[in-house]
Amino acid sequence: MIAVGALLHVKQLSRSPFEIAIALFVPVVQATLAVYLFRAGGEPDRLLEAAVGAGLMGVWSTVLFGSGGAIQSQRWQGTLEMIMLAPRSPALVLLPVTLATGITGTYAMLATLAWGRLLYGIPLDFAHPVAFPVAVAGCIAGLGMFGLLLASSFVLLRHANALANMLEYPIWLVSGMLVPVTALPGWTGPVAAVLPTTWGARAVHEAAAGGPVWPALGGCLAISLACLAVGWVLMTYVERRARVAATLALA
Amino acid sequence: MSALFRLVGVGGVIAYRALFNWTTPSIFVGTLLVGPLFQLFFFAYLGREFGVADDRFYIVGNAVLTAALACVYGGTMAVANERRFGTLGHVLLSPRSRTAIFLGRVLPYAGNGLLIAASTLTVAALLLGLRIPATALPGLLLALAAASLTCGFFGLTLGALGLRFRDVFLISNVAVALLLLFTGVNVPADSLPAGIRAVGAVLPITHAADAARRLAGGATLGDALPAIGVELAVGVGYAVLAAGLLTVFEAESRRRASLDTL
Repeated sequence: MIAVGALLHVKQLSRSPFEIAIALFVPVVQATLAVYLFRAGGEPDRLLEAAVGAGLMGVWSTVLFGSGGAIQSQRWQGTLEMIMLAPRSPALVLLPVTLATGITGTYAMLATLAWGRLLYGIPLDFAHPVAFPVAVAGCIAGLGMFGLLLASSFVLLRHANALANMLEYPIWLVSGMLVPVTALPGWTGPVAAVLPTTWGARAVHEAAAGGPVWPALGGCLAISLACLAVGWVLMTYVERRARVAATLALA
Repeated sequence: MSALFRLVGVGGVIAYRALFNWTTPSIFVGTLLVGPLFQLFFFAYLGREFGVADDRFYIVGNAVLTAALACVYGGTMAVANERRFGTLGHVLLSPRSRTAIFLGRVLPYAGNGLLIAASTLTVAALLLGLRIPATALPGLLLALAAASLTCGFFGLTLGALGLRFRDVFLISNVAVALLLLFTGVNVPADSLPAGIRAVGAVLPITHAADAARRLAGGATLGDALPAIGVELAVGVGYAVLAAGLLTVFEAESRRRASLDTL
């Protein structure tokens, strides 16, 4: 059910010109910016890192806005009631949606890598060529699970849009997607350590540039599973509360 | 003449209150004050990591750029939301100049952009330890105001495209992303290819950021005025372009009966 649901929502998201254009174009602009910055900073050997980092940023943006607004999107499409009427747990029905946002985030990663290769001639010499796609897939699965927590917690907040708008850059920054976490103030360390994005980004970067991939990927998936569990409980609570208060269709 | 100013001023403010989506304080603060601050921190730390330029380059440049967020999307919304809310036909039926109506709508967004840019610069300078000479403040305010106004007219130009194209917010999202790259706010101009620099020269922010950086670095207002003047000239160019596009697309949408097509 999760696989079929995720495939359905990936197809649906992939038919939106807005989603596709944003998922492909904005990360490419950020990758270009990163490439010029790395070059200007005398780091031409790290251009692959720039392309991978910009791709990860795109994945996070897709998950943040896609999963954060998952319930609202279903509400606008008029499908929320039907989803909640399904004889399965609401979390199980919503999980494919949030996983789909992570999967469509791979468009960003593919776009930045292809852009870097074709336009700037960045060699795609991954230090761990087998581990790289595994790390990306693991990172995306992790972020999809984290997405369920976002979806269920955002729906509890009246002004979730504001929170989503605020969370894009801080997570890019703290998770070390482009700026190494060692360059940040010390107090950001504990914050970064509990985010699945940090471990996911580390796993993908280490698969690309070299380093122990599996511990970071394991950390990402472990934290993501914890987020999934919390998100599951929250989603069940939210659904019951909305049914009791008859507010399911209300924004 | 006073009726025209009333149309531009009061009309703009009323339309701002009606069309601006983020009217609750928490959404305003989160989206327009805190969000841009994190954007600035991201690029400031990125700049520190690579040592491409100093903190002043990133803090001042990105503070100017934050004006674009409210002004570009706001200018776009000034036209696009009329269509979305089903009121575009009423506006275009008005016997008054639609050019004046729409140009007036930019002013509240420009004020908004100025507030955001000034607050972002203040908070970022305090948190990241950038010292700005007090004598530079009037000039900085002028540069930020010029950037805000230019971004507003740029946004209105994009909004005018909303009379012709369905998904104008796609265009504005892409435009805001391109401003990050083309304005040289995050990469020094001499590290960018000539093509990007040439495009950046006719985009909002580029010249205002240059002027603001000079002022924050101790230059006099006289030194920065030429760059501020160029920024304003770019803004006037976009205002003329927006007025032209609005006139052309309005006529075309009447002819094709596509005014309320979503």
